[in-house]
Amino acid sequence: MLIDIKDLYKIYHEGQESEVRALDGVTLQIDRGEFVAIIGQSGSGKSTLMNILGCLDIPTYGDYHLDGTDVTELTDKQLAHIRNKQIGFIFQGYNLIPALNARENVELPLIYQGVGMGQRHDRALEALERVDMADRAGHIPSEMSGGQQQRVAIARAIAARPPIIMADEPTGALDSKTGRQVLEILHSLHADGTTIILITHDNGIAATAERIVRLSDGKIVADGTREEVGL
Amino acid sequence: MNFTQAFKMAAKSISANKGRSALTMLGVIIGLAAVIILVSYAQGQNMAMRAYYESMGTNTINVSASSYRGDVDIGGALYDYCLQLDDLVVGVSPTGYLYSDPTIKFGSKTISRQWQSMGGGAMMSTGQYPNLILGNDKYGLCNDYVIAQGRDLSYLDVEKESKVCVLGSAVAEELFGFADPVDKTITVNGTPFRVIGVYESKSGTINVGGGEDAQWIKDSINRQDYIILFPSTMTRLFNNNQPIDQYIIKAKDAEALKEVTTLVNGFLAGFISQDNGYYYIDNPTNYQNEQAEADKLQQRFLGGIAAISLLVGGIGIMNIMLVTVTERTREIGIRKAIGAERKSIIVQFLIEAAMICGIGGIFGILAGYLGTLIVGKMSFQTILLPSAGITVGAFLISVALGIVFGLYPAVKASGLQPVEALRAD
Repeated sequence: MLIDIKDLYKIYHEGQESEVRALDGVTLQIDRGEFVAIIGQSGSGKSTLMNILGCLDIPTYGDYHLDGTDVTELTDKQLAHIRNKQIGFIFQGYNLIPALNARENVELPLIYQGVGMGQRHDRALEALERVDMADRAGHIPSEMSGGQQQRVAIARAIAARPPIIMADEPTGALDSKTGRQVLEILHSLHADGTTIILITHDNGIAATAERIVRLSDGKIVADGTREEVGL
Repeated sequence: MNFTQAFKMAAKSISANKGRSALTMLGVIIGLAAVIILVSYAQGQNMAMRAYYESMGTNTINVSASSYRGDVDIGGALYDYCLQLDDLVVGVSPTGYLYSDPTIKFGSKTISRQWQSMGGGAMMSTGQYPNLILGNDKYGLCNDYVIAQGRDLSYLDVEKESKVCVLGSAVAEELFGFADPVDKTITVNGTPFRVIGVYESKSGTINVGGGEDAQWIKDSINRQDYIILFPSTMTRLFNNNQPIDQYIIKAKDAEALKEVTTLVNGFLAGFISQDNGYYYIDNPTNYQNEQAEADKLQQRFLGGIAAISLLVGGIGIMNIMLVTVTERTREIGIRKAIGAERKSIIVQFLIEAAMICGIGGIFGILAGYLGTLIVGKMSFQTILLPSAGITVGAFLISVALGIVFGLYPAVKASGLQPVEALRAD
């Protein structure tokens, strides 16, 4: 079991009148090599779930084992290592660093891994080639279209060859054609054995996943194939 | 992440925000330039004062002693007493002045006292007239004169009342130009004196440097080149055989000088009472010490001003770094999401701050050099340059400023939860 969470809660303003249960007792297992889409309306808790799965946030209560490791027990430094080596993030807003060009952005996770310069260059270019952006390696984000920026962001996510890719509304800011291109890249990564966790509110995109998890008010209300979930 | 990489990142981020980086550097530049100029100014001034005291001779005391009736040979007694202290005293010489202002001639060249009526019967001396001194074979040694040509007075010159003299470099130049004065004969009120030697110029060997008082110090040192030294026994010829009542004693070192001062004081106290005469011991070292105290005070004061200007610069850096952190919260979130450790974020921001300060420091040093040159030229008419110590120190201070004042924003930045940082606009 790659991801194993049990009775996960994320509660804001606990005990106060304004208490919000973003996650309200979530239990979920994801196997290595799965392509899982997490869907739900906005406010359903799907982004909170991804942040916790990606070790960007910590749960209020609950267990989270990632590849057998109890993540809730880890230090800041160990969490940073997990984010660096195990997980590649793709965000809705691309989140490239504006001052760095495409290649430098893609190199970032490798820099934090301590990969030497020559190898870093090669691996960054390789990742850019994978998303068909090698010819834009020297461009800074403001010189690229949204779709191009998202492809660079994907290259950055895969540069360190993590076993898991987490994508939070990766097509949300893109038109449907470029959105499909991004989705195709995710599927080809999946075909290579990468575990993909895709968060979306777009049922059409979710329908391409082999497993769909539907969240509502912080709880899992459906989990299964497209047919089982009813898409 | 290694340091080279962190440096590259810092350079990238500084060049991405050129305007803001330049403004931050400006604070450091002004602060450092102020420090360098102020400290150099103080040092320049102190250098001039030290040169002045050096020119007066080191480790010496001046003794004035006289008996009212002129019946006690204080000079002879003091001289003999000092000879007994030969493990402490290097030399002792009378310092006598002529009562009249004789006319000095060589060939067609004449040096004489020029007077000008000031009205109402008052007269004022105009132009330069040399210091005519009666001394012995140790006078040059005691006053730190060095023979350039010929020889100094000898014991025999004094004993035999030889009509010889040693010229200061300025007198030699005025009377002889570029010709060799040694063994030429000058006349003093018609009496022939053979020139046996010429002293080296003091103004040539002592570095006055800069200072508010540089001009009068230079004048004072130049005046020391404008002397003629005669054997002390010439008092018979010039001063009606009046005993010389001033002496200069040169001790081996500063420690010996203290002892000599005490001993001579005791000796003279036993020799002269209030009824039959007076004595006075003047120790230039005292002035020197007072001056050193004053210098320290001034340096502390200027240092305080400089420290304040640096502090203001440092707070400017902290302010900018805080703004930078706020502005780049999202970037910090991205970096943390990608796997940057807290340490990497701290190091990155610290290096950035240190780099801004370091670059600002280099420009500040350049500005400081330029300012020091201008101040030196304007205030002291000399080329004044900051010392290497100040330069290196100033640079280290500027880098340290960056690290100290960059620390708070850096720690603040690194402590953010990635998800919170990513939420920032």
